[in-house]
Amino acid sequence: MSVLKEMLENLISKPCTILYPKEKVPIPKAFRGKVIIIEDKCIGCSRCSIVCPSQCIAMVPDQTEIEVKGKKIVRKKRPHVKLYSCLRCGLCEQHCPSDAIYLSNELSCSGTDCKVVVS
Amino acid sequence: MMDAFQLAVYILLFPGFLFLVLYAFFFKFLDRKITARMQNRVGPPLLQPFADFVKMLAKEVINPKGVDRQALDVAPLLALAAVMTAYLYVPIIGESPLAFQGDLVVVLYLLTLPTIILFIIGWLSRNVFATIGGVRAVTQMFIYEVPFFLALITPALMAGSWSISDIIAWQQQNTWFAVLQPIGFIVALIGLQAKLERVPFDIPEAETEIVAGPWTELTGRRLALMQLSMNITLVTGSALVAAVFLGGPMTPWTIAPDWLSASIGFLLFLAKTFAILLILISITVASGRIRIDQLNDIGWKYLASAAFIQMGIVIMMNYLWVGA
Amino acid sequence: MPEILLPIGPQHPALKEPVNFKIVVDGETIVRLDLDISYNHRGIEKAAEQRDFVRVVPLLARVCGICSHSHTTAFVKGIEEAMQLEVPARAQYIRTIVAELERMHSHLLWLGVAAHEIGFNTLFMWTWRDREIIQDMLEETTGNRVIYGVNEVGGVRCDLTLDLIRASFEHLQKLEDRITQYVGMVKNDETLHMRFSGVGKLSKADALKYGTVGPTARASGVDYDIRKDDSYLAYDEMPWKVVTDTHGDVFGRTLVRIGEMQESLTIVRFCLENLPEGPIAVKAPKTAPPAEVLSRYEAPRGELVHFIRTNNTDRVERLDIRTPTLANWTAVAVSLVNQNIADIPVIVAAIDPCLSCTSRITLLNGRNKKTSLMTWDELRSYSGEYYRRKRCA
Repeated sequence: MSVLKEMLENLISKPCTILYPKEKVPIPKAFRGKVIIIEDKCIGCSRCSIVCPSQCIAMVPDQTEIEVKGKKIVRKKRPHVKLYSCLRCGLCEQHCPSDAIYLSNELSCSGTDCKVVVS
Repeated sequence: MMDAFQLAVYILLFPGFLFLVLYAFFFKFLDRKITARMQNRVGPPLLQPFADFVKMLAKEVINPKGVDRQALDVAPLLALAAVMTAYLYVPIIGESPLAFQGDLVVVLYLLTLPTIILFIIGWLSRNVFATIGGVRAVTQMFIYEVPFFLALITPALMAGSWSISDIIAWQQQNTWFAVLQPIGFIVALIGLQAKLERVPFDIPEAETEIVAGPWTELTGRRLALMQLSMNITLVTGSALVAAVFLGGPMTPWTIAPDWLSASIGFLLFLAKTFAILLILISITVASGRIRIDQLNDIGWKYLASAAFIQMGIVIMMNYLWVGA
Repeated sequence: MPEILLPIGPQHPALKEPVNFKIVVDGETIVRLDLDISYNHRGIEKAAEQRDFVRVVPLLARVCGICSHSHTTAFVKGIEEAMQLEVPARAQYIRTIVAELERMHSHLLWLGVAAHEIGFNTLFMWTWRDREIIQDMLEETTGNRVIYGVNEVGGVRCDLTLDLIRASFEHLQKLEDRITQYVGMVKNDETLHMRFSGVGKLSKADALKYGTVGPTARASGVDYDIRKDDSYLAYDEMPWKVVTDTHGDVFGRTLVRIGEMQESLTIVRFCLENLPEGPIAVKAPKTAPPAEVLSRYEAPRGELVHFIRTNNTDRVERLDIRTPTLANWTAVAVSLVNQNIADIPVIVAAIDPCLSCTSRITLLNGRNKKTSLMTWDELRSYSGEYYRRKRCA
């Protein structure tokens, strides 16, 4: 009986499907999405590269002068994240000492270039 | 009687084959849409069954090794021809011009042909799943055919004629048979569900058990035509039950202009077949599939006994009230 | 009809993951069957030996999609026991909340799949729609809908704020109404009864003899639940009951799983109301002293066992995973004989098979009935030889 009642109630109410692309799914703030690197804060310590479980972060040589905590230092390396190997686990964000790499809540959906890199 | 040109229009255009095919697609759309809405989903758009048909006509036909190609090509055409012919005798806008005494039996016989052809296709496919599915289809047919036939013959007994058009004329003067023989009505509806192989009786095509049963090796245009014949069986079956139990396209009182009577009758026909479709959909959505041995139990213990009881009641009523 | 060999799998609409049943049928009754379950082997145990404790946790989370939290918690619990690390109370409570939410969404998924196997697609659509409530809750809290990544050695990685807790209570209320509806539907639906009752009956003696675990065993009256018998996380601090049933067939397993869903809801509510204050993690040492730990955990499908051997390095020396589905396959093979073909998907689905968890190979030499294990080099040379022979033949 409860099956019949629910069937008839559903017949007159709006379906629960979200009609993408007209309506979009609401994404919460805590969602682990695409990796973003803030250039000016990275000190090139390579901790993100060492801790990444899928080894998708490579450190490429890059000489830039950045300012951290009032002192000017020269950064020797910069991370290069292969976006399609990234697990979105968040370990790099957790171990970064200067909050330079973090996971936004952007859905990085599909694309056509398999060599996409975030740097 | 109609002249040759009017008869050709009746058979080929309206309410003949063209209308039948379009109505079959529309019925299938309604079936899928209402099922989806009951399950809280959106469902397909209006032209979806037509698009499926066209797409499948264009797909490649795969012949497994050692299979008889011509037989598999011809079988869906036979099924399609059988149900389309059966449709011609069911009244749509008033009496059918091809009516004759005994056309009820002819329609019932023609409607069993798709199931037998499914069995043949299953046997010819040389595939374990298809064979088991074909055997299940024929077993199911043996179980539900007896109650279904009996339930559709009892109105003929009461109306005193073997022609569907006479049965609806009798109902126009008295009341619907659904009111006079409710047990028969319910048995006919359940028998129709089993004939159409819809849940809870879709045992031959149990997707999670034997892949697709006899439909496994049907591809391309064979699958398109077989599915079309199944859709047409849905329309013809509902129209038959609507005619025999709900009075078909006849208005309860006669209306003066002939064309007005025919149009209102046609609208009534649409409404009544839609009502039967709704009942069939509700049964499908609310239950799961049962096993073939459980169907055996239910079919012989409950359905057949109900049909026999109904027949007994009708014979007694005939003897006592209606007269010889 | 003579006996036919019916191949169910490796690809079949009834199976969600590849498994090969070679079933011999006579008409519609099953005479005997043969089972092959190693299609999903990915070499996870070997891969886990080469990663240190920080990087191995995301690997183990991907052993299985639905039991993801179970594997990571079992492993992390074992390592903390080896290191003799005291985890703060707030972390234990958060782990318990995620574990019970995972159990609820796994059982709802199972209810939908079992309904789909008998052709009852309506219940399938509805239960999976309500699963979205739990997945939304988990997404707001942990950041992902399926593989949560909440655990690390020493505690958890994300915290529950007050807003999240308040939103969770609303979600839980909606969920409770829906679960009560499903209890009513399962107990009253006629075709469900016809397909589930009396099918796949397993007596209590048989369940104990073949080593079944989880809801499959509890439906036969075996009172065995690791959360009570070998308590871990925060389970011994709150009032809850183990759900058992005496039917022993698929209907009994349905009732056990629905009862467990209701118990999980109570546990999650209790934990959210009594969440202790404090840090959510302690800093773990880099290496673990030499130890051999057997870490047991009650996954949604049954008893999950992780055997861990550490040796003073920052990696494990040997990790052995025994999943509940592996323990339940014998029960399936035994209860399938003399049933109908139509009951195969029902009985297989009733143990809630998760083949990604299951596939760990052991070699059996059929002739002299001895089991042996191959080392890594032996396996590589054997496979090279096998394919060379196959290519030349």
